Amino acid sequence: MTEVDSDIIKPEMMKSYVWLQTSDGSIQQVEQEVAIFCPFICHEIHSGMGSSKNYPITLPPRVNPPMLSLIFDYCRFHQVPGHSNKERNLQLKPLVDLTSRALARVIEGRSPEEIREIFHLPDDLTEEEKLEPIKNTMDDPRIRLLNRLYARKRKELQERERLKYAEVEEEHVDDRSVDDPLVIYQWRKWSSSIMLFLHVLDFCCLSFRNSKEARTSKTKKKNRRRKEHQKNAPLNCTSTSNSTSSSSNAVDLNNKDSNVLNSEFRDALVRGNFLPSLGKTSKLLDIEDDRFAGEDEFDDDDGDLDDDIDPAIKEKIDREVEDFARRLNSDWPERMQEILSLGQERRTLPVSINGNGSLRGFMLLPHPRLHKAQPLAPQCDDDVILPSSTTSFCATVAVPTVITLCLLV
Amino acid sequence: MAYSFPEEVLEYVFAFLSSDKDRNAVSLVCKSWYEIERWCRRRIFIGNCYAVSPQIVIRRFPEVSAVKIKGKPHFADFNLVPEGWGAYLYPWISAMARSYPWLEEIKLKRMVVTDESLELISKSFKNFKVLVLSSCEGFTTDGLASIAANCRNLRELDLKESEVEDLSGHWLSHFPDNFTSLVSLNMSCLGSEVSFSALERLVSRCPNLKTLRLNRAVPIEKLPSLLRRAPQLVEFGTGAYSAEIRTDIFSNLVEAFSGCKHLKSLSGFWDVVPAYLPAMYNVCSRITSLNLSYATVQSPDLVELISQCPNLKCLWVLDYIEDAGLKALSSYCKDLQELRVFPSDPYGAEPNVSLTEQGLVTVSAGCPKLQSVLYFCRQMSNAALIAIARNRPNLIRFRLCIIEPQAPDYLTLEPLDTGFGAIVEHCKQLRRLSLSGLLTDRVFEYIGTHAKKLEMLSIAFAGDSDLGLHYVLSGCESLRKLEIRDCPFGDKALLANAAKLETMRSLWMSSCSVSYGACKLLGQKMPRLNVEVIDERGPPDSRPETCPVEKLYVYRTVAGPRVDKPDFVWTMDEDAALRLS
Repeated sequence: MTEVDSDIIKPEMMKSYVWLQTSDGSIQQVEQEVAIFCPFICHEIHSGMGSSKNYPITLPPRVNPPMLSLIFDYCRFHQVPGHSNKERNLQLKPLVDLTSRALARVIEGRSPEEIREIFHLPDDLTEEEKLEPIKNTMDDPRIRLLNRLYARKRKELQERERLKYAEVEEEHVDDRSVDDPLVIYQWRKWSSSIMLFLHVLDFCCLSFRNSKEARTSKTKKKNRRRKEHQKNAPLNCTSTSNSTSSSSNAVDLNNKDSNVLNSEFRDALVRGNFLPSLGKTSKLLDIEDDRFAGEDEFDDDDGDLDDDIDPAIKEKIDREVEDFARRLNSDWPERMQEILSLGQERRTLPVSINGNGSLRGFMLLPHPRLHKAQPLAPQCDDDVILPSSTTSFCATVAVPTVITLCLLV
Repeated sequence: MAYSFPEEVLEYVFAFLSSDKDRNAVSLVCKSWYEIERWCRRRIFIGNCYAVSPQIVIRRFPEVSAVKIKGKPHFADFNLVPEGWGAYLYPWISAMARSYPWLEEIKLKRMVVTDESLELISKSFKNFKVLVLSSCEGFTTDGLASIAANCRNLRELDLKESEVEDLSGHWLSHFPDNFTSLVSLNMSCLGSEVSFSALERLVSRCPNLKTLRLNRAVPIEKLPSLLRRAPQLVEFGTGAYSAEIRTDIFSNLVEAFSGCKHLKSLSGFWDVVPAYLPAMYNVCSRITSLNLSYATVQSPDLVELISQCPNLKCLWVLDYIEDAGLKALSSYCKDLQELRVFPSDPYGAEPNVSLTEQGLVTVSAGCPKLQSVLYFCRQMSNAALIAIARNRPNLIRFRLCIIEPQAPDYLTLEPLDTGFGAIVEHCKQLRRLSLSGLLTDRVFEYIGTHAKKLEMLSIAFAGDSDLGLHYVLSGCESLRKLEIRDCPFGDKALLANAAKLETMRSLWMSSCSVSYGACKLLGQKMPRLNVEVIDERGPPDSRPETCPVEKLYVYRTVAGPRVDKPDFVWTMDEDAALRLS
């Protein structure tokens, strides 16, 4: 609702309005009784914001204007005056259900490849993990760290790429529209509805997150998750290069953990050089259970990473990764010996994998992938994944995906 | 883009994905989805308890509220799996007791459950609600008493066809007086009489009771008292349905049944006195499921009953129904989806009833929604099978058991290859198939060529050579479970298709021609399979390598060879190969 619109609706001059500012800088008015459907906005109002144009309520970056007006239309349509905040939360719930269901229907019956295409997600599971989804390969904290580092860096790379090529892709789309308007219309409809759903859902979750009830239950969950991560992986890592966070909760977490990360990371590398102490044997035995089935940690054919990164950084990354992998790798034969001998002399014996049947199930780490350019950067825990400020607006889809989407439609 | 959204967004979406298949697909999309999904998966299905360990499951899925586990292979139902083979529940319960204190549901099939496990369940899970024990064994009524006494929020206790050592009926009285949450109770497999007054009181105080399946020991005269206390029942199983003919018993029954406006499913009916069947007639119009597999009633009485049930979707019945009864079924019950006809006298030399292939053909013609068939009979022809296939291309499950092994087409004396070939060719959605009769390698060629959606195949006394097995393993893309007995399949097909076995849940081969040497080789080459040789004649290495093993059970696993093997089971792996050779 712009100021012009509000002038037209004269009888409602007595209504109060709140001022909202979206991340594109535009400021708009919304009837208060509609805007307070969003507990986040409600909260801001109570803190004194939003009463005038000069002090608008700043909405989180990932809320985009068209989506916002959709939500407010929905709220207007469903509004019943005089409800409490809790009731308003409940009012939003049907919207959450609706959008969740719609997205679930998109996912239902599809293969992982198809889902990846639709949602533009990275294919970052190793071949082993794909083959044996029920297997948990995450127990060794060092392995887990390495996997996370890969995933995070790849994410960053892709985001950078997208920013770089966003405009170019738009043009491609326009070209195609000249050739085949129906096709373009269809995929636009399809991909934009998905994006819309995701934005709506996200907005609602944002609202819930900031409401008191949601906070307690989510914090409980987050705490549990954090505890579990800390228990199993003292090497919790967070992003040091994170984009602006939207919720204050997340930001605090980040800052706290980034220091933890750096020191723990260093510790892990240092530790990697030592033979494991007796005290750690039981933990290792635990890990060995996982290994028993003969899984191959880094074996994958995941070659779809683009190598378009700064060659200097690339070098650095390569070196870091190889260094780390070498440390891990050199450790394994010794660890195996340790377990086999269980408390005897811990000298490295020449290890033959093929001949010695008793070594079945214990893994070396072949790592063809590690010699390619691999990203390496710290990554935040999943429960503090933050949206990147610039990419959430783009409904651009790469040309190959266009074709796939058309086939799906 | 999408993955920059916080995980709670995705959690809302995943909450609407209930099928395991979708959940598994989602977990394979990328690492972050894997993580998000594993934290919000609440229901777990483990098709083979030895494919994974409790520790692995618990580590991956930390917040589970419902677990379904299957143990022994299906052929255990036919006594082909020796006693003591495995499938013990206890390790699962002791692990879950520590990690899933809020577990609500445990559903088991073909597992060995002990009283100790039951007691641990009853004491470890504060909000325990559902216990289903299907074809399980190893426990007594004392274990049931623990469940009754301690599970304050129990909703469902279903013993299906379990083998329970029945020490007394006293277990039922252990439900406390303030226990009111029961929704479903199935005790039909128990022998002992329970205290009827305790049962009455239990039924009275549980207003949400929807399913009540009594055991044989509850007499027919007592039924009205229970039905009157639970008019909201949806599923009801009688006890012995017999008494001397008395009008008061009859009229009480009629009245009691009339009060149950929501009954949809009936079962029980041991020792039926036909005169009492009409007491149910005024509920029959709503009945969708009828289990008469214990009802030794002749065809005319069955027909009369069935003719009252126009909405019948599922019928389990003895072959007393005969071809005539099946003809009536096909004309009265146009909604029929599932039919199971069991043999009344399978070991008799001569047929005792007039049930032939014709009955099934008629039903296939008259019931357009028929999709699931289990049929025991003594004769079959290719013509009949072809007719069935043409009539019912929407069949999903087709299990035919011609009682005499290797019985040919009784009209032409030819093998039944073309008949079953027609079934797989026409029924493109077929997921489960059991073969019988005289069959050559050709039928397997048809199956391999056409049965692309087939998930489970059961073969007995069929085929000529390895080629048969090869056709199946190389052609059936969706195959998950293959069970074979007494067939001339050997090493070549098995080893040539070793990789296929990793895409399946399990393979069972008993009394076939697979040599010990081949088993060893398979175990060596495929570390992600457990190759179990089951042989009660003693260690296989005490016999030549070329000697065929008694039984072979191969299944994929991430848990490695199991540690609870009895002394007649050997796991083939590198170790074994070195130790035993």
